[in-house]
Amino acid sequence: MRTFRLPGAGQWCLLALLLFNLLPIYFMFENSFKSPIAFASSTLNFPQEFLWSNYSTAWAKISEPILNSALIIAMSVAAIVVFAAMSAYAFSRLRFPLQNTLFLLVFGLLLIPGFLTLIPLYLQIKKLGLSDSYWALILPYIAGGQAFSIFVLKTFFEQMPDELFEAARIDGAGNIRIFSTIVLPLSVPICTTVAIINITGLWNDYLLPSLLLNRSHQTVTMALVSFEAAAGNYGLSDYGGMMAAYLLASIPLLLLFSLLMRNFVEGIASGSIKM
Amino acid sequence: MAGKAKIKSALTGYGFILPTFVFLIWFMYYPVYQALNGAFTDWDGFNAPNYIGLDNFTRMFSDEVLRQSVVNALIWIALSIVLAIVPPFFVAELIFHLKKERAQYIYRTLFVVPIVIPGIVTILLWRFLYQGDGALNQLLDIVGLGSLKQLWLGDPNIALYSIILMGFPWISAFNLLIFYSGLQSISSEVIEAAKLEGAIGWKRVRLIDIPLSAPQLRLIVILTLIGSLQNIIPPLIMTNGGPGYSTYVPILHMYNVSTVNGEFGYGMAIALVMFAVILLLTLINMKLIKSES
Repeated sequence: MRTFRLPGAGQWCLLALLLFNLLPIYFMFENSFKSPIAFASSTLNFPQEFLWSNYSTAWAKISEPILNSALIIAMSVAAIVVFAAMSAYAFSRLRFPLQNTLFLLVFGLLLIPGFLTLIPLYLQIKKLGLSDSYWALILPYIAGGQAFSIFVLKTFFEQMPDELFEAARIDGAGNIRIFSTIVLPLSVPICTTVAIINITGLWNDYLLPSLLLNRSHQTVTMALVSFEAAAGNYGLSDYGGMMAAYLLASIPLLLLFSLLMRNFVEGIASGSIKM
Repeated sequence: MAGKAKIKSALTGYGFILPTFVFLIWFMYYPVYQALNGAFTDWDGFNAPNYIGLDNFTRMFSDEVLRQSVVNALIWIALSIVLAIVPPFFVAELIFHLKKERAQYIYRTLFVVPIVIPGIVTILLWRFLYQGDGALNQLLDIVGLGSLKQLWLGDPNIALYSIILMGFPWISAFNLLIFYSGLQSISSEVIEAAKLEGAIGWKRVRLIDIPLSAPQLRLIVILTLIGSLQNIIPPLIMTNGGPGYSTYVPILHMYNVSTVNGEFGYGMAIALVMFAVILLLTLINMKLIKSES
């Protein structure tokens, strides 16, 4: 299969690129242990002594935003998956008037970029008096996650064997029972994937939260941006703590991806995940 | 009786999609309607909006900041397409030609690791590296190239390029995996035949790998094109469009016109035009895919 041996130069090149690619992680890691003085002398060398207290400082500042984000995302994603699964079930397994038109209405939303609705959403939520509460994000997030999730789940439900549904109906099961005792339990893996894709997007969201939330409700991304502004403002700045905060903010995604890295890599590499 | 069953099944269907549509109408369709509608008004968020016809759209032609933003966006698109293709494809080739399957897997995984860093952290980190006394200038001092030191984000002539070029060595994990999968799908018969013709090494890359990666290339070009038209977070966080308007892009202009000046009507007009451009590109792309398969 392999037609020629990669020349030595190619292998060294690959290794060098990999190291450069991981350099930002190294940079955050080594600097997260430095005192302001060690940081000021150089940002590039490995620390002489490890200042673990940077992490407790960073945690004190970032723990509340992490909890805010976690709460907002947990509620949003739970509702996204349940509502999207219900709709996907209806679109794939039930028959009702205007079904195709309604599905096209949902599908068309995939073409709507976030920037188009950003400002109207911001004004609408302010008008509803929801700003500075978790609902300010949860409600639009639930709406924003529907189209993609319904699309993925519908494809999956269509591929489930028909006999399964016929057998259940003969046993006298109604749609609600079929949905909750057959469809949902059998689609836990795909629902998990849908949830993780949604979580990643929401964890990184910055614009809507920064427009709608005050400091006491701030999300991780808001905290990181304001943390950076604050770190530079004092005479002796705590950049070590800032780097520690960056790393702490990456841990939730690290945990999610380490659970699913194999699926993710194989999924894209085999062509089953596109777009 | 049959009619009754039909009505019942219709009601079940509507019941199942009801929660989705409550949220979509409230937080998707209505905001979209407001954006489309607002583009033709002098909406400022306080007073009742008045219809002003196409005034917002004619205003765009004389808007100097918008003109600069469009020029910047074009530079951004051109450079990001190159960066989205060349480095990931190069690395995909290098990994693909490793002899051991195990080594391929390890490299693939390690190149994907940086996706756990939230996007905003990458942007903040690069803003930090670009500072006057930041790591980039420190590095230039160390290697004796101190004369090349710059105010990377403070100089209006280079700030835009600094933002576009952040993320060295530009190996997007997603693009890398897409290219890699393309290379894997090249059939071994094609490769064997090429080998007999003497196409090995770089000749093979040029004559076989690149032409046969055309579908992956097109996918990445269109995604990058659409993605870089929507850019706002990097310039917003790193420079907020400055110094001057040197790093403005259309969506950032829309954002600032709306949130800072309160000119929601004009902001929505810019958003609408950008939306039309992106929609057109997406539809062209879908048509191309359809005609191919």
